[in-house]
Amino acid sequence: MNRIFAILILCVVAFFLFSSLNLDYGHPRGGQSNYYVEHGLKETGALNMVTAIYLNYRAYDTLGEATVFFASALGVFMLLRKDREGGEDG
Amino acid sequence: MDRTSRIVKIFTRKLFPFILLYGCYLISHGHLSPGGGFQGGVIFGSAIILLGLVEGIRITEKRFREDILSLVKNVGMLIFILTGFSGMFLGYAFLSDFLPQGNVGTVPSAGLILFLNLTIGFMVGTGIAVIFYRTVRHGSEE
Amino acid sequence: MNGINISIVVILIGIYGILTKRNIIKMAMSLYVMNSGVILFFVSIGYVAGGEAAIFESGAPLSKILMVDPLPQAVMLTTIVIGLGITALALALAIKIYDDRKTLNAEKLLEN
Repeated sequence: MNRIFAILILCVVAFFLFSSLNLDYGHPRGGQSNYYVEHGLKETGALNMVTAIYLNYRAYDTLGEATVFFASALGVFMLLRKDREGGEDG
Repeated sequence: MDRTSRIVKIFTRKLFPFILLYGCYLISHGHLSPGGGFQGGVIFGSAIILLGLVEGIRITEKRFREDILSLVKNVGMLIFILTGFSGMFLGYAFLSDFLPQGNVGTVPSAGLILFLNLTIGFMVGTGIAVIFYRTVRHGSEE
Repeated sequence: MNGINISIVVILIGIYGILTKRNIIKMAMSLYVMNSGVILFFVSIGYVAGGEAAIFESGAPLSKILMVDPLPQAVMLTTIVIGLGITALALALAIKIYDDRKTLNAEKLLEN
């Protein structure tokens, strides 16, 4: 019974996802990416365009992502603690 | 079936410094070829995980102590934020590029990108190693 | 059979795994499979027909060549690391649940 519901939901989701294939992909890129490719080398001096984007033009998002990774490593560090006895509180 | 075989142990011990070197190469050449801070950092952490799986956690702990790795991870996050603020003391915006650009195509070029790559690489590498240490030690010393 | 079709199939496999599996660790793994499908979808969208990789060569003339879109690739790098953080925390929580309740079945955990 569980699987029949799952397959029904999967059919509905698949209909929505596959109908997004009829959009227009594969065209040359629009506004922002044009600017990054044309002026990226002059302004940053890096040969790798992807690194120049995520460390120079959008470095604030990289700061947020480093914070998320730091918080998750800290969370694992705090959860799997081995205190004196078997029952930690909280 | 508890211990790993002899061939795997000897091969891993000989191969371990080259994996670390490859990770450091990917981190430092992030602005010239595919790679960067995150990719090199994951390879750096995977080398420590590989050594911990083969040799046992007690011997690996003697070489790569957990409190030092944790200290590197915390200090790396602090250095990232302080680098962002250090541009504001000179009049630029937060996290803007104020170092001079060198010759295009060499390693010391592109301003602040190399420094941020090194910081992120060490932070991600030691973070993955700390997650591995915690998961293994929680289950072993019951 | 390009990247967009395959990524949609991977997303559907991930959704099926979350809906039908009862083990908590398998549900966390299906979440990560769905994450990988979404990443593949976004990277395949930014493909320009006939374009090259988004890295300039060191000796070649740095003039106008046709490149693929570098912006989705830069955003998806962040997404990969966030997916790693989510999975690490979910599996650590699963370890703590097993220590406390001695079972990993989602239905038995809901019974109290």
